[in-house]
Amino acid sequence: MNEQQQMIAEMADDLFADLSARKTSDSSWEAIESVGLPSLMVDADRGGFGGNWCDAVIVFRLAGYRALALPVVEATIAAALADGAFDGRGTIAPAAEGTLAGDRFDGTITGAAWAEGAAYVVAPAPGGGSMILDMAQASIGGAANIAGEPRANLAFQGATARRLPADIFALGALARAAQIAGALDASLAMSVAYVNERKQFGRPLAKFQAVQQSLATFACEAAAANCAALGAAQAQGRGDGDYAIAAAKLRANRAVGVGTALAHQVHGAIGFTHEYPLHPLTRRLWAWRSEFGGDSHWSGVLGDRICARGADQFWADLTAVTD
Amino acid sequence: MQTFVPESITWPDTAPALRAQVRALVAAHVDRGDPRRLANSWAVPDPRFSRALGAAGLIGMTWPQSYGGHERSPLERYVVLEELLAAGAPVGAHWIADRQTGALLIRYGTEEARERWVPGMARGEIYACIGLSEPNAGSDLASVRATARHDGDDWILDGQKVWTTNAHHAHVMIALMRTEEGSERNAGLSQFLVPMDAPGVSIRPIIDLTGGHDFNEVFFDGVRLPANALVGVEGDGWRQVTAELSLERSGPERYLSSTALLIELIRRAGAHPDTAVRALIGRLAAETWTLRLMSASIAVKIARGEDPALEATMVKDLGNSFEQAIPELVQAAVEVDPAGPEPLGLVLGHLLQLSPSFSLRGGTREILKGIIARGLGLR
Ligand SMILES: Cc1cc2nc3c(=O)[nH]c(=O)nc-3n(C[C@H](O)[C@H](O)[C@H](O)COP(=O)(O)OP(=O)(O)OC[C@H]3O[C@@H](n4cnc5c(N)ncnc54)[C@H](O)[C@@H]3O)c2cc1C
Repeated sequence: MNEQQQMIAEMADDLFADLSARKTSDSSWEAIESVGLPSLMVDADRGGFGGNWCDAVIVFRLAGYRALALPVVEATIAAALADGAFDGRGTIAPAAEGTLAGDRFDGTITGAAWAEGAAYVVAPAPGGGSMILDMAQASIGGAANIAGEPRANLAFQGATARRLPADIFALGALARAAQIAGALDASLAMSVAYVNERKQFGRPLAKFQAVQQSLATFACEAAAANCAALGAAQAQGRGDGDYAIAAAKLRANRAVGVGTALAHQVHGAIGFTHEYPLHPLTRRLWAWRSEFGGDSHWSGVLGDRICARGADQFWADLTAVTD
Repeated sequence: MQTFVPESITWPDTAPALRAQVRALVAAHVDRGDPRRLANSWAVPDPRFSRALGAAGLIGMTWPQSYGGHERSPLERYVVLEELLAAGAPVGAHWIADRQTGALLIRYGTEEARERWVPGMARGEIYACIGLSEPNAGSDLASVRATARHDGDDWILDGQKVWTTNAHHAHVMIALMRTEEGSERNAGLSQFLVPMDAPGVSIRPIIDLTGGHDFNEVFFDGVRLPANALVGVEGDGWRQVTAELSLERSGPERYLSSTALLIELIRRAGAHPDTAVRALIGRLAAETWTLRLMSASIAVKIARGEDPALEATMVKDLGNSFEQAIPELVQAAVEVDPAGPEPLGLVLGHLLQLSPSFSLRGGTREILKGIIARGLGLR
């Protein structure tokens, strides 16, 4: 991390830790806005931080680490894409169905995060690319993911939409990979602390080799998710994130299975209670594994791409994305 | 908690040129007739290829020019290594000398030993083997019992090493010996440079389960060596050995051993694979992509002068598990005879048999996880 990233990370982590410890309210979002976090990737000449994807991934990871129940990730991406065209908080969604004729959209957007109170939404456009719409035109059908994070379906009729070249589905996947990395690190930290404290058979669980080996496995998975998320952010920053984002979301998704299973296993029954703070992390991990593309989606995308190029291009293509 | 701090890797500007250079060398020198030789290729010795690499300046890349090295950056070296392994090049003859022995001699060796051995290593002509394991010292390496004792100005070596890869091709061994009589565990150990043709050194092949001859037993029977055979400081052997571990454990050879099989799988899949094979290829590619960043992150940290021992251990554990899982996953996904004659089958059959060794050599999975657990504060 460079100096500026260190600064952003400290600021965001303090704020997220503080906000997560309290019950969220309207004033919580104001606290996020007041430090300007959602304009992290907005150009400096528009009053933003002018940050890049690596900066953003640091913040997104911390939002995951703190299981932050606020749409800072979605608002930051939306603001970067809106480029000053809207005021207020924006959000993003992974899917849309319907028709986009000229600048008129008829159809539904599904899975929009924290749609209630959002001023605008960025979603995939039918036929490719993305589109951005004013939320005043939407009728909102509320729902939530399995972690209780708001996810809504939005119906539009003859709504005005502006096309964007960005691939919001991929950008959402990159963000979820970073959140997964953070939430895995947090569940690992909680697990390590727990097994050092809890005693059975007259000694801390941490002293049992089976427990040690489980958590070592977990640590490797968390490490892989972290490296994948940062690597994808770097690739996106270089202007070619397609391959890396597919690989990163897929790798992060795979870490979810191992990580959540081991976190719960070493916690025993206490980790299965509503009161204990493990489930805000693990339930989010299970939800995020599906959002913006599950394993079958991204392995298909990557597999197709590689097979289309052929065996002898496999390694050359893999290295070309970083050279 | 963040146990692995990923690096924003800046690949060298010279990387594309180095890749092109390696690919041309491989195209000119490597016989692709038997696809099995492309798998786990850092265990496949080919002195002719090693000499060609040496002549091209691609061995000892980071060593000082005064010892025949080329003073390139660690990441430039990394690029060359990953290209060689991904291409299945037979780099087994010089691999150990290039990875650790040359650097060890430059760091701890006497001036005489450096001048005697290192330039030949850089030329791809002098090869090395690692004498750590003994019949009663495997994971518990501190149980080493082979001895070296003073006799006037000389040293006399007695005892046995085992599982010594390439002892039969190597010119020198770096051996970990007990130098203090009655010392226990990791105290009283020292490293020695043993010429394999020294009187009293004998080698007995051990045939592995595939029928191959890679590793050996090595016996020392009153082997007399001059004072300067000691590498580094007497009694400091344990510290010197463990200091090499980050480099040994995190290189691209720790995750690329089964890449030849992935490449054959892609070839067999063609442009329109079925869903299961396509998904498997995507998954293995994602894992390869991630491990590459992790492994290169370690190279960056080492280049900065850090010793990322914990992170390097994670790379080896994840990497070995990955390269070990590939054969089984491929066998489950495609109907192919692992006895051949299809290339995919041949490589599969070969790796099914070899892959159990991936999580043994260089420190077993359980030992690695123990090290990681200590890093997590569990022991
Ligand atoms: C292909 C190959 C090449 C090799 N090349 C070399 C070489 O060139 N030079 C060299 O010196 N050595 C070499 N080795 C040896 C290698 O380093 C050892 O095999 C390894 O350190 C394990 O030792 P061991 O085989 O004696 O197994 P053991 O130590 O007997 O272990 C057997 C099993 O018990 C487990 N175990 C042991 N202790 C513990 C513990 N405390 N807790 C939990 N589980 C434990 C191990 O993880 C393993 O699964 C090579 C090995 C292989 C397979």
